[in-house]
Amino acid sequence: MTVLHINRAGAASTVQDSGRIGTLQLGLPPSGAMDHPALVSGQHLLGHTQDEAAIEMAYANTEVTPGSSCLIAVTGAPVSLWVDGAPACDTEVLKIGAGQRVSIKARSHGVYSYLHVSGGIATPAVFDSRSTSVREGIGGLAGTYLRDGDQLPIGSANSDVIASIASLPLPESAPTLMLRFVPGFQYELLTEQAMSSLLESEFKVTSRANRMGVALSGDPVNTGVTSLLSEATCYGAIQLPGDGNPIVLLNDRQTVGGYPKPGAVIRSDCRRLAQARPGQRVRFAPCTPQEADRIAWLEQHYLETRLR
Amino acid sequence: MFEIGPAGECGIRLVFSGEPHEALTSKLLSIQHSARQRFGTELIDSVVGYTTLTLFFEPHNIERDRATAWLQESAGADTDEAFLAQLAARPVVVLPVWYHPSVAPDLEWLAEENALSVDTVIDLHSDPTYFAYATGFAPGFCYLGTTSPKLAVPRLATPRSEVSAGSVALADQQTAVYPGPSPGGWRLIGSCPLRLFNLKASPPALLTIGDSVRFEPVSESEFRALGGSV
Repeated sequence: MTVLHINRAGAASTVQDSGRIGTLQLGLPPSGAMDHPALVSGQHLLGHTQDEAAIEMAYANTEVTPGSSCLIAVTGAPVSLWVDGAPACDTEVLKIGAGQRVSIKARSHGVYSYLHVSGGIATPAVFDSRSTSVREGIGGLAGTYLRDGDQLPIGSANSDVIASIASLPLPESAPTLMLRFVPGFQYELLTEQAMSSLLESEFKVTSRANRMGVALSGDPVNTGVTSLLSEATCYGAIQLPGDGNPIVLLNDRQTVGGYPKPGAVIRSDCRRLAQARPGQRVRFAPCTPQEADRIAWLEQHYLETRLR
Repeated sequence: MFEIGPAGECGIRLVFSGEPHEALTSKLLSIQHSARQRFGTELIDSVVGYTTLTLFFEPHNIERDRATAWLQESAGADTDEAFLAQLAARPVVVLPVWYHPSVAPDLEWLAEENALSVDTVIDLHSDPTYFAYATGFAPGFCYLGTTSPKLAVPRLATPRSEVSAGSVALADQQTAVYPGPSPGGWRLIGSCPLRLFNLKASPPALLTIGDSVRFEPVSESEFRALGGSV
């Protein structure tokens, strides 16, 4: 089996695919790529199915060397790319020879970039997924972040690469990111004051942002609700801890929780939030589940059109 | 009394009002079981909490009105007798526990705090058969209730940064075993030598919601023979 040598892993690089399903009651989060459309577009560029895993790099600062020649593509947050020290195009599929060094560095916007290698990262699947869940110590190479010197197994490559076209760009960043959410859970329990803090004030992404969730700061949303019986969280759930600063729960979230939640951010906005850097301003706006469906459908359609 | 509402764009949440109780948990488990059969692969996941059942559907494929109507009907109906019989037929899970200060930093403190002897604490904890109300916190962690009011203790104000795997713990009127090393704010009164969560086992979790669970005091040598270590 061919391998990918990780010369330099970077701060928080993990193996990710689309994540696990059916493990919530066990207490295992779904994990999976924080920017799922970016994962899918990379899979598509290399002619992969939706099962192949990639390397997710947060604020990429990574160098790899393949043991045998392969194709690579980088998607998600834009990066600068060098092959054996020479600048290369970061939006095309590149052919890399055995022993060549591929260096990847984050640029000025976005957080998560994905390095796809033809054949996919072939670490063992746990509950049908190769995704790493660091807190639970499962998936990836050893249930943890990639480390310098790691050697990742690569699957056998599929020869019919779709095209060397540009990868799907990140949605343009806006001065204020709108987080549309479906109200639910304890929404009805919010006081008028808490409701106006949530809906009318602006929040900022803090540095407490990772694969578990993104903590925001701003006008505190004090619910007055102290303890709730533990219940399921969900992707995008807006959790309101005692200090009133909302935390939006993402892929590696705790599967149950006892903090009040006024609703959950829709998936396409969760992806944008995951890619937002600290300091990004955000606002919340309620939407109906039907509106959420429509937005999801349009984004799916856009992705498919781009990749056709 | 119950309500049904969204849990994000792909989820539907059923919540009953009032306090948790065994019959409610059984009912929620029964509806979860029927939902898996009814919706098949459209239903990608589901979670029973203390008084809630949350169903998660495949994005782009969720028929909210149909699922809500089905959930409305199921929540209003009597719990399926056959399912209740299956639950009742599950064997009681017996967890061996070495109750000793060397593995239980709060055992003597708790006895003193609640004006009991250590032996009485052990008796009060190991007498009842508990019911598993909820899972969560960490894989393999199961909330068991209800403990004797004589054992009731508040959580630690500042959680310990590391509780060792197997620690048997109390908080309010709940008890649990920590499956792996983790931070924790519950009071530690013993240690269980069994593995609560093992990915190589099927099923991976030793305890699951709806189980009946009993603790059995063991000696240090039995604890060690069962794989326990200090």
